[in-house]
Amino acid sequence: MNLRSVRMLRPSLAAALVATASLVSAPLMRAAESLNLFAWSEYVPQAVIDGFTKETGIKVNYDTYGSGEEMLSKLLAGGAAYDLVQPPDYIAEAMIRNKLLRPLDAAKLPGLSNIAPEFLRLPHDPQQKFTVPYMTGTVGIVVNTEKVKEPVRGYRDLFQPKYKNRIVVVNDNREIVSWALVTLGLDQNNITRDTLARARPLVAEWIKLVKVFDSDSPKTPLLNGDVDLGVVWSGEAAKLIDENKKFKYVLPSEGYHPFVDVLAIPTTAKNVTAAHRFLDYVLRPEVSKLISDEFPYTNPNAAARKLLSPEQLANPASYPRIGKLNTFRDIGKAATDIDRLVTDLKSAAAK
Amino acid sequence: MRPESSAGVPPEAQEKPGVPPAVRPAVEIRGVTKRFGGVVAVDEVSLSIRAGEFLTLLGPSGCGKTTLLRLIAGFEEPDAGTVILGGEEVTHVPPYRRNVNQVFQSYALFPHLSVRDNIAFGLRMQRRPAAEIAARVAEAVALVSLEGCETRMPHQLSGGQRQRVGLARALAPRPAVLLLDEPLSALDARLRQAMQLELKRLQRRLGTTFVFVTHDQEEALTMSDRIALLSRGRIEQLGEVHEIYHRPATAFAAEFMGQANVLEAELLDRAGGVVLVRVAGGLTLQLSHASWPAGRPDARVSIRPEKIHVSKRPITGENVFEARVEEEVFKGATDRLLLATGAGTRLIALAANESALIDAVHVGDRVWCAVHADDVVVIPG
Amino acid sequence: MHPPSGSRSLVPSLWSLVLIGPLVLWLVAFVIAPALILVAYSFAERDELGRVIFTFTLENFRRVFDPVYLGIFGRSIGYAGLTTAICVVLGYPVAWCIARSSEKWRTRLLLLVMIPFWTSFLIRTYAWITILKAEGLLNGLLQYANVIAAPLELLYTPGAVIVGLVYAYLPFMILPIYSSAEKVDPAIIEAAYDLGCGPWRAFARIMVPLTLPGLAAGVLMVFVPAIGMFAISDLMGGARVPMIGNVMQDQFVGQARDKPFGAALGVVFMGLFVVTYWILQRRAARLEEARA
Repeated sequence: MNLRSVRMLRPSLAAALVATASLVSAPLMRAAESLNLFAWSEYVPQAVIDGFTKETGIKVNYDTYGSGEEMLSKLLAGGAAYDLVQPPDYIAEAMIRNKLLRPLDAAKLPGLSNIAPEFLRLPHDPQQKFTVPYMTGTVGIVVNTEKVKEPVRGYRDLFQPKYKNRIVVVNDNREIVSWALVTLGLDQNNITRDTLARARPLVAEWIKLVKVFDSDSPKTPLLNGDVDLGVVWSGEAAKLIDENKKFKYVLPSEGYHPFVDVLAIPTTAKNVTAAHRFLDYVLRPEVSKLISDEFPYTNPNAAARKLLSPEQLANPASYPRIGKLNTFRDIGKAATDIDRLVTDLKSAAAK
Repeated sequence: MRPESSAGVPPEAQEKPGVPPAVRPAVEIRGVTKRFGGVVAVDEVSLSIRAGEFLTLLGPSGCGKTTLLRLIAGFEEPDAGTVILGGEEVTHVPPYRRNVNQVFQSYALFPHLSVRDNIAFGLRMQRRPAAEIAARVAEAVALVSLEGCETRMPHQLSGGQRQRVGLARALAPRPAVLLLDEPLSALDARLRQAMQLELKRLQRRLGTTFVFVTHDQEEALTMSDRIALLSRGRIEQLGEVHEIYHRPATAFAAEFMGQANVLEAELLDRAGGVVLVRVAGGLTLQLSHASWPAGRPDARVSIRPEKIHVSKRPITGENVFEARVEEEVFKGATDRLLLATGAGTRLIALAANESALIDAVHVGDRVWCAVHADDVVVIPG
Repeated sequence: MHPPSGSRSLVPSLWSLVLIGPLVLWLVAFVIAPALILVAYSFAERDELGRVIFTFTLENFRRVFDPVYLGIFGRSIGYAGLTTAICVVLGYPVAWCIARSSEKWRTRLLLLVMIPFWTSFLIRTYAWITILKAEGLLNGLLQYANVIAAPLELLYTPGAVIVGLVYAYLPFMILPIYSSAEKVDPAIIEAAYDLGCGPWRAFARIMVPLTLPGLAAGVLMVFVPAIGMFAISDLMGGARVPMIGNVMQDQFVGQARDKPFGAALGVVFMGLFVVTYWILQRRAARLEEARA
């Protein structure tokens, strides 16, 4: 599961099993008009889906995946026709370039104005023609301040021999390489033989220090006391802080990147009208607030943020002070080189 | 009839100090009890098996004969009592350290080993030199006439051949005692009879002590020197085959060893050399004086069906009486007749099957019967 | 036991076609077709999005033999081998005891072996995490008993991966050995004892050869899937030690997005399976023949 991917808060397997069970029963209920939604597992609150169906009478069939790559893979394979998908920014970029997404009808999306301007017209969708931001977040450092007394400001503070076997990081090869690139002062999206060769010694050193690679639930080893430091999705960090104030969230001083998960309509969609209705429904502040309540990532919906409690807004993992949004870009086949590099280094570290 | 073979003499009494090894019993069982759960399979049994004899443990299923054999082999440990093999106590010695070998009912050949390797198994366990193993395997193969089959696998053999392999395998290590657990029960009747005689000859030739378990009294009579008749975990009677057959110690012994007319008898008169009794139903019989237990007014007597002489014409002799044929069953060489005497006593008789001319007996015929006084056997038990 | 007559065995009747048809369909749909697709993919290329482009290239196989992936193959085989060995050592006596117990107990014990299958594999793995974590049951117990002062590092270690693998695959070792052992006539073991063979030698010379078909099946059913297992090394090993299963998974649904390379790994993996199977099958067949 080496994916930036399975980052969604997925602590409870029982919930996943229930979701599977509802998948099985879903086709039986497709009598009336329906909307086929293909989204991350545990990223769309049941309350949102129920509310939409209650208001419109449209049944929502919620199929899930664990990574943007998995979504793309299944979409390209055909089979089910999805009306809405939920890719991360760099996957959306690749889909737009390959004409897999349908342009949106802006007239049907008055709620788009609720989105804060800094989350619009990002490099993956410069004209904001294909995507609607759903949730955003960052990848940053979590520190258990009860166990770690010295300040940790960035990757160089974190990846030190004294913290060997006390670190969890997301099991995502591209993330790990990007941290090394920004630490070296390089562009995180410039993946070439040369930049990878320069990043290699740093990544090699870091990997030896890591105890757990986990994208599904990186907060678990921190909560269990198996590790004291981590580089994790901000939503995971926010939950840790909610749990215990001993956890601190730090955006690495060397640089960091936000991610934006979007909603979009594939060209193969059957029920485009319903898809637009769902998009606009999710853009409503009171609906968007429900998402924030359950998944404490950074909500790009400015109107929804006004409805959040001061505690929610004060969570430094959910709403860190961030500057320019330097998101991941699609790197095409270079992903293979990253994969080989990290696999090789992990393998070497295991010896 | 040797005195020590009669039933009821405790085996302890037979062993005297300083007995030379040659006549030391091959197997001695003293007061052995074995329970399975709440069921007593072997109940305080004592038994002495002589070196070189062919002894059969005979009894109906569930009588404890197989358990007794397994106690000798070492597959079971007794709850009480001791087992002695060749003068050495082995009560708690595991089977692989006992100088006895067994032929199994199911043969229990090693399916992954050839005939030769099966037979050589025990010798290999003794770590004998290869040349000796080869010689003794060849000898054992010849003993059971399996020449040419050495390289075959057990599944390529017939039932009779498997049986021989099991025998050769058990004999090859030259055990002091060979245990045989109903080894012939899976063979068909003809092969079985041939094997009975062959086993007996083999035992004579080798001089090895054989302890043979069977539920078939005919088989036991055919093969054994002595028979230990078991019932409900106890030895009912131990003795040589003739004695067991002709002088049953109990009603069970009389009835299990072939057919018998077991009748309640009441003492009428004892005068001179003759005892006169009236048996159930009213028939009066005379029997030999010596056998009636002193001072007893009644006892049971047994008459073997073949000892009743049946004729369509009047005959003379001891214990002559008239009877009517109530039932006739054709048994080939013999006729099995159900007779009713005038007094009302019913008896089963086996009569030689005469050709259907003058002497053939039929239902409803009046016949004359005679029984020798010595053949009316008093059951002491 | 007559051999089947020529005419009957060579010309299948309509009825036998009807009987065998579903099996053939099943095999084609779920075994042969996927295998062929895998082989076809393994010679293909991918485009930028990860779509498969059917050309003919050996590049994917060349990459399989890249030392990086070859090393991971080797490590996966090592882990699977160790897992198999432990499963044999633990599973054999258990299987044998179950086979030798009374009918009543046999059913109960077999049920105990199979009960874990009632729960999802992932949930059972999470249960192990609860036991092995730093503040988990085992460390708590050992600390409470004053055996250790500080928590031991149990989770996220190669040892934890082995524990997880053994736990997951042990029933697959026990069940086939059991079914082999159950068929062995107890008198055969007694015969060995009777002929002067002690328990250890009886085990080596009689029990093992007679249960070899079950043992072979167990080894196959543990070793082969253990090579390809990825969830346990992720969850209990902290994804620190990449296994060949992780690499493959990454090619199909992961970031690498390189199905042709994943397919090439899969084809090599299948080849490995076929070779293992063939070796074991040859031995088992010889034995089965001997026992028939």
